[in-house]
Amino acid sequence: MSLAVLAGGIMIAFGALAAGIGNGVLFSSYLSGIARQPEAQGTLFGQSMIALGLVEALPVISIAFGILVLFGIIG
Amino acid sequence: MELTPKVKFLGMTFDVTLMIGSVVSALIVMLIVFLLTRRLSVRPEGRQNVMEYIIDFVSGITGTMLEKKESAKYLSFALTTFLFILVANLLGVIVMVTSTVNGPIPSLGITTAGLKMADNSVSWFKSPTSDINVTVAMAGAIFLYSHFAGIAKSPRGYLQHYVKPFWWMLPIHLIDEVSKPATHALRLWANIFAGEVLITILREGAFYFTGVPLFAWMGFSVFVGCIQAYIFTVLAMVYIAQKVGEE
Repeated sequence: MSLAVLAGGIMIAFGALAAGIGNGVLFSSYLSGIARQPEAQGTLFGQSMIALGLVEALPVISIAFGILVLFGIIG
Repeated sequence: MELTPKVKFLGMTFDVTLMIGSVVSALIVMLIVFLLTRRLSVRPEGRQNVMEYIIDFVSGITGTMLEKKESAKYLSFALTTFLFILVANLLGVIVMVTSTVNGPIPSLGITTAGLKMADNSVSWFKSPTSDINVTVAMAGAIFLYSHFAGIAKSPRGYLQHYVKPFWWMLPIHLIDEVSKPATHALRLWANIFAGEVLITILREGAFYFTGVPLFAWMGFSVFVGCIQAYIFTVLAMVYIAQKVGEE
């Protein structure tokens, strides 16, 4: 097993870990928001989906570079 | 990872797959908009309603970022960006054409070493936004345009906003200016690229084993494609508004 496989695996793993934490924080705030004010669900859903896209981007960048390292295209 | 056929012209390398993908997406956008805007009437019905809904949605993006007078100017730009990226993202989920090539083709830049690394598979059609060159070009164009628009509006204000609110914030502003187009491009590319790679990997497995994850991931890819098209448009408008909106 080459070190590149290990490096790619670590990049993907930490990307997934960070995405899990970020999405957990985001959706716990969303759920407590609609628990306090159920009528705001429509607006909050749209806003949280935009935030989801922004939060997901950084781990996905890490995962994309991890895939490139894993397949030996860069590095 | 598939190879892509490349053509050398005037000392530059052109990726044939990306050109096919971009032209097809642009044609589909043109066809959609053309068909939806036939037989316009004052009281909208049918297809016209769909187009008005899309324009309303995009003018909501520009309206919240810019002043009313300015936002009308950028509406068509935002609409084109949004529709092109949306169609390009969704095309890659639905259609991916890959062929097996056994021998090297020098005129298309397919070499033996490259084929060995890519297991003889050559991609002919995929989402153009899953290549970093396309997204960097789009984000770079928006970056250049936002600075150009800022200088054209008021050169003094453009220079002044680098030292606001304090002069020692200049380095932070400069780092910000570099990181904005970089993350803008990487965000779109990474999402679509990772999605396509996972679809390719899942398709290679036995269907009874990877069938359910494949369809789940394809559904998620459609969702991600829509969200990323929306976010790319929103961020483009934010970056332009930061330069144009201030004094």
